[in-house]
Amino acid sequence: MAVVPLKLAKLINQNYSRVCPKLVQIVRPSSYRTSGFLEDLDLKTKYEVTKDPVDWSYVERALPPTLVPHPVKKDRYASGWKPQAENLTHMPYFIERTKNHMIPVYLHRDMRGTRKTTYVRKIQGDIFKLHKELVEFLQKETIYPIRSQVNEFTGIIRIAGDYVNAVKYWLEQRNF
Amino acid sequence: MSSTADKALGLLRFLPRVCLANIRNNPGAVKKSKRGRAQHGGDKHGCGNKGSGQRQNFMRLGYETGNNPFYLRFPREPYYKGHHLKRQYPPLSMLDLQKLIDTNRLDDSKPIDLVAILNTGLYKLAPDQHQFGVQLTDEGADIFCAKINLEVQWANELVIAAIEKAGGVVTTAYYDMHSLQAMLNPKKFFERGVPIPRRMMPPPDAIMYYSDPSKRGYLADPAEISKERLVLAQKYGYNLPKIEDDPSYQMLTERKDPRQIFYGLHPGWVVNLKDKVILKPEEEILVKYYNT
Repeated sequence: MAVVPLKLAKLINQNYSRVCPKLVQIVRPSSYRTSGFLEDLDLKTKYEVTKDPVDWSYVERALPPTLVPHPVKKDRYASGWKPQAENLTHMPYFIERTKNHMIPVYLHRDMRGTRKTTYVRKIQGDIFKLHKELVEFLQKETIYPIRSQVNEFTGIIRIAGDYVNAVKYWLEQRNF
Repeated sequence: MSSTADKALGLLRFLPRVCLANIRNNPGAVKKSKRGRAQHGGDKHGCGNKGSGQRQNFMRLGYETGNNPFYLRFPREPYYKGHHLKRQYPPLSMLDLQKLIDTNRLDDSKPIDLVAILNTGLYKLAPDQHQFGVQLTDEGADIFCAKINLEVQWANELVIAAIEKAGGVVTTAYYDMHSLQAMLNPKKFFERGVPIPRRMMPPPDAIMYYSDPSKRGYLADPAEISKERLVLAQKYGYNLPKIEDDPSYQMLTERKDPRQIFYGLHPGWVVNLKDKVILKPEEEILVKYYNT
């Protein structure tokens, strides 16, 4: 029995299958990577090609958006989410919103989930002033000294402990 | 500006231009790939003496270092038998849903289904881990005020009441694993060039839920559902807004066929995104297959 590629095997089997039913063995590729591309099987399935704009509007509805949409301006948002104020140029520091229009304050957990660190990101301007005011506010909530670190180059403030909601509240009060 | 930044900028003005020839890495940026030997960090290589510091052999949950563990000490009571085979519905709270609508991630002028929620990219689903869709939880039910046509996979009574009080409609619908796989990323699915699969009927243990009008099941009788809407309004004590008089009546009454996955697209169609055409099968056997 000869070992030949798939296409040749099909040809031989088509022409000589009546003479000798098991003339050749079809090679099965050993893995997905080594297998060839799918061949045109000459199937004659009847189908209709349409360009109906109504149908296509439903396709577009199903497709995911390529960009994060901008929020629509309203007087009040039911969920409590607030957009950033527009007149913040007079402030000595600025915190940019994330691409999802949220305040960039996060909780990092490490040491197998036991150590909690609050990260305030995307800070521009006088980061030391912001750090001073923030620590002053947070110090009221605890008797222990707030341990924190400023990274001026990356614009990040790290605070030991979980103060995410407190920091977000403080920033929201200042319309960031 | 701080004095540090000022000093650094002032220094830069008097220094030659920064270029690849005169900069160097930050200290500690390049990590030595070798393990220290002898006096250069040899001996314990900074891992301490013995134990989990050296071996990272954190004990598995419940292991009691050779004792007969607590969870094996008593006769077994199979509360959780078959838990790995049960369908899961990862939660999405009403507060999150309201936030998605507020931030314009979900368009409330169109029906919101699992495809729309997944397309926000803020809700993850893993059908291969037996996750079968959204469970809408009642956190934030008291502030919810969006008028939407919502389709979720699981909702409790309070959630249904909160949506209907705000003038919306809710349906609970089942999708099988293959349909969910197509819904995860419709763009990727259309690019594969395979026909849209037909949605399977719910399995025997879910068919009661999805044909129950009080759960707003998609297989329930619409007349029964409108009756149940009134019953729920009386139970929770609110005036049921009339959707018949609503300007967005068309949107609120848009429903999928029980065999349909995407709104307006029928099973068996092949979407060609490149040429912007849709191929519809005409073979009788295929038409029959996809319609039943």
